[in-house]
Amino acid sequence: MWSVTAMDGPDELAERFRSGDESALRAVYDRYGGAVFHLATRALANRADAEDVTQATFVAAWLGRGTFDPDRGGMLGWLLGIAKRKVVDRFRSAAREDRAAETVRALPEPAKPDETPERVLDRLIVADELAQLPPEQRRTLELAFYDDLTHPQISAVTGLPLGTVKSHIRRGMAALRRRWEVDGAAPGPRSAGHTRTW
Amino acid sequence: MQHLDPDRLVTLALGESLTDADESDHLADCADCRTELDAMRHVADLGAETQEMRDLPKPPDRVWAAITAEIAHDKNPDIVRLTDRPNRSRPRWLSPLVAAVAAAILAVAGTVTVIRLTARPPAPAVTAQAALAPLTPAARTAHGDARVLSDDELQLDIRNLPLTTGYYEVWLIDPEDLTKMVSIGNLPDQPDVVLPIPQGTDLNQYRLVDVSVEAHDGNSAHSGKSLLRGTLTN
Repeated sequence: MWSVTAMDGPDELAERFRSGDESALRAVYDRYGGAVFHLATRALANRADAEDVTQATFVAAWLGRGTFDPDRGGMLGWLLGIAKRKVVDRFRSAAREDRAAETVRALPEPAKPDETPERVLDRLIVADELAQLPPEQRRTLELAFYDDLTHPQISAVTGLPLGTVKSHIRRGMAALRRRWEVDGAAPGPRSAGHTRTW
Repeated sequence: MQHLDPDRLVTLALGESLTDADESDHLADCADCRTELDAMRHVADLGAETQEMRDLPKPPDRVWAAITAEIAHDKNPDIVRLTDRPNRSRPRWLSPLVAAVAAAILAVAGTVTVIRLTARPPAPAVTAQAALAPLTPAARTAHGDARVLSDDELQLDIRNLPLTTGYYEVWLIDPEDLTKMVSIGNLPDQPDVVLPIPQGTDLNQYRLVDVSVEAHDGNSAHSGKSLLRGTLTN
């Protein structure tokens, strides 16, 4: 039965979710649970902590479903934003408990020092947008990203005219960037006129 | 020099080197183009990192079970929640005390059940029953039956539950709204047990029998760790 609900478009799913339809919560979990769990496991070394954060994220999302505003961004970005805050809470409460106990215990340290929750979140958002691009556009971007091919090389590999490759990559990059600006976490560089305050 | 061409910004962001002196000079002077290039580079870097993001593993099933259980108390605090959760701030010495009180209450409840049973005529009518099947790998060899006797007692015959340092609790849940549930009681250390069903429980609604494993943490809410489930049918 979930396969039926999982076919909803994002808007319809978000609407059902906001209206308190519990089958929508399951569909949202099926669709985005892996991404939330990924963020938590990358940010926290302890797997049990990561499961707790995933649980807390979906519970908080459900209880706060009225605060989800589709005009301000997508559901994945919203969920990952909640997850990021839960990760930070986990760091803080662990540090607090640690001070209170005055013992040195295993804190939930970041799995990798340079792997911030913000970076993981941004990556998940870009990956989600990439997956939604038209297939040919996505393919050309993947060849550029993963295989480091130049435009002429991509043209040779795919048989697409060079002009088409250029426009696919330019449009694809623009789409990824727009999505990152809307749903991303890192207060990184934003183009002039799109600057947000944090 | 005018601003850099959008296509050129993309190729630069994707890793092509700056070879044109005019371009370098312009970038040094033009904050807009620099900001633009930085943003595109960041997106390109993120894009290059997305290769590992396909087919992300799903969280384990217990996470979903815990979500539904936790939502259940928030929605229906009167039924299942006596204490707030999580209770990390509670002094540790309280937990054994709470467990002891719970055990005492259970002992009384158990006595009441036994008295009621002995006072009962033999072979009470079975008004509904359910076969209980394991919900998690940890309980894969567990199995059991639940029978409703005269609409006011639940007779359980449960075998092979995994070992636990906590205890097992029996619930009746509304399968159409997993946030609604009634605690029926705890399983004593014996396979066959009869637990009273709280008066007024609508068994047409609360027809999903659920056995959970609970920790002695003074928290009366469903742990989210369901081991066995089965739906009552007439």
